[in-house]
Amino acid sequence: MPTFSSCVSILRQGFGRLAIFGLLLLVIAGCEQTKERPKLKIGYMNCNNEQETRQRFVPLTRYLSEQVGVDFEAVPVDTHDFEDRFKAGEFAFTHTNSLLYVVLHENQKLQLLSAEKRGHFGARSAGAIIARADSGITKLEDIRGKRMVFGPMMAPTGYLAQYDLMLAAGIDPERDLGYYAIPSGSFKHEKLVYGLYFGQFDVAAAPVLDLEVMAKEGKITAEDFVVLAQSELIPYCTFGAAAETDPELVAKVRKALLGLTADATALVDGEQVRVLKAAWVDGFEELLDSDYDPIREMAKRANMPPYQKF
Amino acid sequence: MRLRDNHLLTVLTAGIALGALGVLLAVWGNPENSGICVSCFIENSSGALGFHGNERMQYLRPELIGFVLGSTLAAIAFREFHSRGGSAPLPRLVSGVFLIVGCAIFIGCPIKLFLRLTAGDLTAVAGLLGLLAGVWAGLRGLAHGVHLGRNSRERGGSGFLVPGFFLLLLGFLLLRPGFVIFSQAGSGARHAPMLLSLGAGGLLGALAQRSRFCITGSLRDTLLMGRRTPLLWGLLAFVGVAVALNLATGLFQPGLYGQPGAHLEFAWSFLGMLLVGWISVLIGGCPFRQLIKAGEGDADAGLVVLGMFLGGALVQTWGLTATAAGVPMNGKIALLAGLLFVLGSSLLFRERAD
Amino acid sequence: MLQDRYDKLLWLGLLGVIGTLGFFLFAGSVRESAAVDAGSLDRAMEQELARQAKVSFVEKIYQPVSKLRQEGQLQSALLKLDELSVRYPGEAHGAILKGEILLEMGALDAAVGSFVAAVQRNGDYVDQHHPLSRFETIRQLVERGLREIAPRLQAHPDNPALAESRKQLFYLQSRLAGGCE
Repeated sequence: MPTFSSCVSILRQGFGRLAIFGLLLLVIAGCEQTKERPKLKIGYMNCNNEQETRQRFVPLTRYLSEQVGVDFEAVPVDTHDFEDRFKAGEFAFTHTNSLLYVVLHENQKLQLLSAEKRGHFGARSAGAIIARADSGITKLEDIRGKRMVFGPMMAPTGYLAQYDLMLAAGIDPERDLGYYAIPSGSFKHEKLVYGLYFGQFDVAAAPVLDLEVMAKEGKITAEDFVVLAQSELIPYCTFGAAAETDPELVAKVRKALLGLTADATALVDGEQVRVLKAAWVDGFEELLDSDYDPIREMAKRANMPPYQKF
Repeated sequence: MRLRDNHLLTVLTAGIALGALGVLLAVWGNPENSGICVSCFIENSSGALGFHGNERMQYLRPELIGFVLGSTLAAIAFREFHSRGGSAPLPRLVSGVFLIVGCAIFIGCPIKLFLRLTAGDLTAVAGLLGLLAGVWAGLRGLAHGVHLGRNSRERGGSGFLVPGFFLLLLGFLLLRPGFVIFSQAGSGARHAPMLLSLGAGGLLGALAQRSRFCITGSLRDTLLMGRRTPLLWGLLAFVGVAVALNLATGLFQPGLYGQPGAHLEFAWSFLGMLLVGWISVLIGGCPFRQLIKAGEGDADAGLVVLGMFLGGALVQTWGLTATAAGVPMNGKIALLAGLLFVLGSSLLFRERAD
Repeated sequence: MLQDRYDKLLWLGLLGVIGTLGFFLFAGSVRESAAVDAGSLDRAMEQELARQAKVSFVEKIYQPVSKLRQEGQLQSALLKLDELSVRYPGEAHGAILKGEILLEMGALDAAVGSFVAAVQRNGDYVDQHHPLSRFETIRQLVERGLREIAPRLQAHPDNPALAESRKQLFYLQSRLAGGCE
């Protein structure tokens, strides 16, 4: 018959084993907790400047980090540096204009994630060639010998689309214009509209989205300009993923982007910020790579990257 | 047995007439799949009387007037007109409101539910399941002692008030005074010729009065008695004739999508008809049956009818009604309020063994 | 119901009122004074006038947009619509014009969204006989939209934007089919 002391001894042993087991569990759980999340970079092409890029896309980056369980870092990148830095493996994900997406896709096998929706045409936009309504220029043919202002060269709807429109109309921008210029510095898109508006130029290559935004802000009216020509609709800014990025992670990021709604927020500097509103974006849409073929054709015709021949 | 055969014959005739006219009235000009829809007609009539401001849904539906007055004439002719009432009047008024709420969420009354089904509108299946569930729930309530009390014969002719009101509406329909509104656009402007509608309504009112035909009553009796109930055969006759006529007139368009006056929020369709079925069993009949009973002099049914008119005004004014885009938040809240009402009423009106 | 003097009094009163009612219904309206008559209620006419006024009003305020469209200045027409939407937010006619312009410009998905917004605000656009009717345009849009979206959805069944577009097309299809709305 077991004695009292033997029972106590058995109990003590039991508790002891239980304590050791519990301690082990705690250690394992603690290890799981302190296991670090992967750190990855998203390269965001600068539209105007680094500050604006951060302001627009840090909330989105934080949101993606929360949704996907990865510590993403938003890295603003100048357009002309983008390909080199991407090639060096700096970014797992990219946010660029659609022409740069095509360049990176063709040259570096960038995968398509989603396109940004903004404005009347959703995930698409167009480039227009405009003149002041009172300029006497009423059709595309009239721009021969005139002064023209373009947006940045790598802008699909600020340069490429308009260049292509002119070529299609038999107008060689290099020969048939009086001259053409590209504004210096940042905010080139607005500068070209004001340049036209205030008479420094006769014709401008304006992205229709910028016209829309400026009209909504009351900076211009529909009666100020005449649209001489407008390109077909082409995809707008685009999220991509590097080819070697984990496919599961790519799928998660794509899902997070496509599922974003207007009321989604992220914590930035102690403030809950609406992600889409901060990014100036209405949402994201899944497109096919073939939807970018019109850009490819334009680039080929205009001898632009990635098809540029010297 | 002979009486029963006569009754079966009358029920079958009512079912056939309902099915035929339900389709034909749409062919003759009523909105699609809404040849007969008591809730839609009440909303339209409420609008015509100025109770709501939806300009697209204002028309004094002659069919409604025909239902009530046809029932009155048949009841008087067969000496079945009796003023009766006094059973939970205010809850019946509120029941009428929630009957329309439930119908507005589904977009149609139980008659329209079957007309939609017979036209191939598969979105109505959810409503049918809801109606069955509601009838079953109502029966369970009755079995557990939930009842609003019997009405009794009343002195003073209170039973004439609702037929009198509809006689007034007939006068409005014929004389068209300036304060009665008739939509120039929308579903309120879609209607069969007035005399046809009035005649059809009168015929159906009389047949329904003689046969006691009722959609929820058919389902109720089927659940209780199975195939023995004549009302089941009346319902089947209605469905059979409606299907045949829809096929013959090219109105049969089977599918889930692109159906007129239908939405894809099946859960809410189910709940809407659940509410309608449940209330209908507790108050003794679907919206159509309430009109018929009111025509017979049942003042309690008359209060339900008035409640339905009030409901018809509220669903439009407060934006409760569902549309092809779906069920608005206000409508969902109203429906839940209706379920609260029926659950609460079941608790309060239940007779418990001490 | 003619037992005593009180019953007789009640019957007399009833007959008197019925007679007066009959007089007013059938003969009294002829003698009604002009001042009273001018204030009498004719809601039907009021509603018809309001409807016609609304049609004229929207056509007038959106006339600059229509003019730009006719001149082929579709982008400018869109910009003009944006300006007008600031002054008349939520106006259905702006949405319907935007839908038509987007359709002309080839932006089918965006056009569908605009048409849906317009029809949800004002069902007159799906009425075949209304002066503002866009029944045929919407019918063709639905036909084309469903035809084009089916293969896209088959290839990408998880694409939420395509699913939303299809839902919107089904909504328009349902509205075109009629019913009580």
